Amino acid sequence: MAAIDFLLDMLATVGVYLMLTLSLNLDSGYCGIPNFGKVLAMIAGAFVVAFFPGRILATMLGMSGDFVTDNASMIFQINSFLASNFLISTALFIATIIVAIGFGMIVGYVSTRPAVKIGSGPLAITLLVMGEGLRVIGTNYAPLAGGSIGISAPDVFAWAGGDRFLVVSVVVFVFSVAIFFFVNRLTNAPLGRMLRAVRDNEIAAESLGIDIVGVKLKTMMVSSAIAAVAGALYAFYSGAVISTAYTRASWTFIPWAMMLLGGVANNVGVVTGVFTFVFLRKLIVMYKAELTPYLPFDVLWLELILYGVMVILILMYRPEGLIPEKRTPTLKMSTLKKMQKT
Amino acid sequence: MHQITYTYINLPHLYLLPEKLISPIKVIKDTHNKIVMTKDDLLVVEGVRKTFGGLVALDEVNMKVKKNLLVMLIGPNGSGKTTLINVISGIYKPDKGKIIFENKEITECSADEVCREGLVRTFQIPQLFTKLTVLENVLTAYKDNPGTSFLKACVKRTWIQRETEATKKAFEILDTVGLSHMWDKRASELSGGQMKLLETARALMSGAKMIMMDEPAAGVFPSLIDKIFKHFVELKKKFGLTFLIIEHRLEPVLPYVDYVYAMDRGRVISEGKPKEVLNDEKVIESYLGE
Ligand SMILES: Nc1ncnc2c1ncn2[C@@H]1O[C@H](COP(=O)(O)OP(=O)(O)O)[C@@H](O)[C@H]1O
Ligand SMILES: [Mg+2]
Repeated sequence: MAAIDFLLDMLATVGVYLMLTLSLNLDSGYCGIPNFGKVLAMIAGAFVVAFFPGRILATMLGMSGDFVTDNASMIFQINSFLASNFLISTALFIATIIVAIGFGMIVGYVSTRPAVKIGSGPLAITLLVMGEGLRVIGTNYAPLAGGSIGISAPDVFAWAGGDRFLVVSVVVFVFSVAIFFFVNRLTNAPLGRMLRAVRDNEIAAESLGIDIVGVKLKTMMVSSAIAAVAGALYAFYSGAVISTAYTRASWTFIPWAMMLLGGVANNVGVVTGVFTFVFLRKLIVMYKAELTPYLPFDVLWLELILYGVMVILILMYRPEGLIPEKRTPTLKMSTLKKMQKT
Repeated sequence: MHQITYTYINLPHLYLLPEKLISPIKVIKDTHNKIVMTKDDLLVVEGVRKTFGGLVALDEVNMKVKKNLLVMLIGPNGSGKTTLINVISGIYKPDKGKIIFENKEITECSADEVCREGLVRTFQIPQLFTKLTVLENVLTAYKDNPGTSFLKACVKRTWIQRETEATKKAFEILDTVGLSHMWDKRASELSGGQMKLLETARALMSGAKMIMMDEPAAGVFPSLIDKIFKHFVELKKKFGLTFLIIEHRLEPVLPYVDYVYAMDRGRVISEGKPKEVLNDEKVIESYLGE
């Protein structure tokens, strides 16, 4: 029983991180945008879950009261309604995901537009600050997501009863697999080659007629939509949104570490990086209590210190990651070889 | 009896009458009634000045490149050749003056817009996509590939045919510049001369009407230089392409050249047929200090 729970938990964690890291790989790994604000679009998706579906259901069910201050009692009623309404639950889930995609795109555009022409340094700082900013707004402005206490979201998987945890974990994972295939399609098309070209040499790309500002904006819109889906799914999975939980360490820097470990601009590398990382993390969490007597610092810091050391070691000894970047396979290798001979 | 009608341009707004209304000779004049552009001109550079701080890199440069010619731009180091190409291709904005390409003013255009107008350039110091393979570098230059759009990239059958055509063309071009055996190597693994050849290959792939090249022969094996310039001449004849090519020295490529501009210290000091320019005293003198 415990083993299954452990696996399921890993499945959902892997799923959320996979989506975030694939999204990061698309904008940073392929297109070269220094996205140090990955958490921004994730929060956007989570806030969509915090804000819309609960209020919509409350209105539908004719409930009175404030969704934030009376959150606990209202969510209780909403969830008992949802538990016996599979269709409404699913429709609401899908609608929320679609809104999250749209909101993610807007956030991607708005956060990138101001600094995209100035340079990668300013762009990195802008994205970092905006990610922090949205979290701070969410923490201090209660109507959005319940402020520092947080807010419960409607449980659109309540119909699964005792199997809820299983169902929601599988749904998260299935989404991440679908996103893997979607991103892989984009990057294995001539588009992937163009993104890598923009990353490698902006002047050359521009001189060959590529509108690099347009390319970067579109890339950020798509990658932010993916991160917003990850945020929305994570909110549905955990059943609540608490702004303070969306830290840059967990949702920006760890995806960066996963991408660097697995392989920049290689989606299979990202999968490898995410699995390895999540597994190592679970191990550390499980055994860190045993290590306490041997550590000269609080065991709480062990995890973060190990991540830092790992990133430094990767950059020093294997900068291309576990699985290095490959040719964009638009045509089969055998076709190319034949073409070369004639 | 027959009055020639001129079209006037009052820049920055280029004003052209429909072709049928004007005489067979299409001439563009500026507000001082001076002829700026005739039918045969593809690229016109008018009074361009570019300074870097106190340094005057280009000083009132005038230049006209006629369609379907191979034009050379020569001059000693530091004479402003590269700066001129940077200004024409939209990398730098000139302090003064205007640039017209195919009846359209491009002075304010960005580099990608200039390229999409059909005017492509290469770099003196190769600017390659270092992590892409040689073939991928060339393919990136292919214009209007449907597979580079986010919507179409997901559906392979919308782009696979064009991509196949592009790849065939890319291999032909790589053959011409002698790089086809290196097609699957990363651009960063090439030698200096090979990098210059890859720059040339990308420019040829772009499908531009006019190609500006910054010292394409530097570091390239002499027999290969001959082969490549022969290919330029062939392209000129077959597809009506126009070339503006910077070289430090004119002699190695003399037989292929139609017209020459010579620059020194930011100014055009001589222009004309290759032999005339080579024998021009001012040109000889400018190279003496080297
Ligand atoms: N970006 C720049 N900043 C400052 N000075 C420059 C820059 N580009 C060129 N120059 C200067 O302009 C002059 C002309 O240079 P350049 O156009 O490269 O000459 P050429 O290509 O004929 O050798 C040189 O004195 C050079 O140092
Ligand atoms: Mg130069």
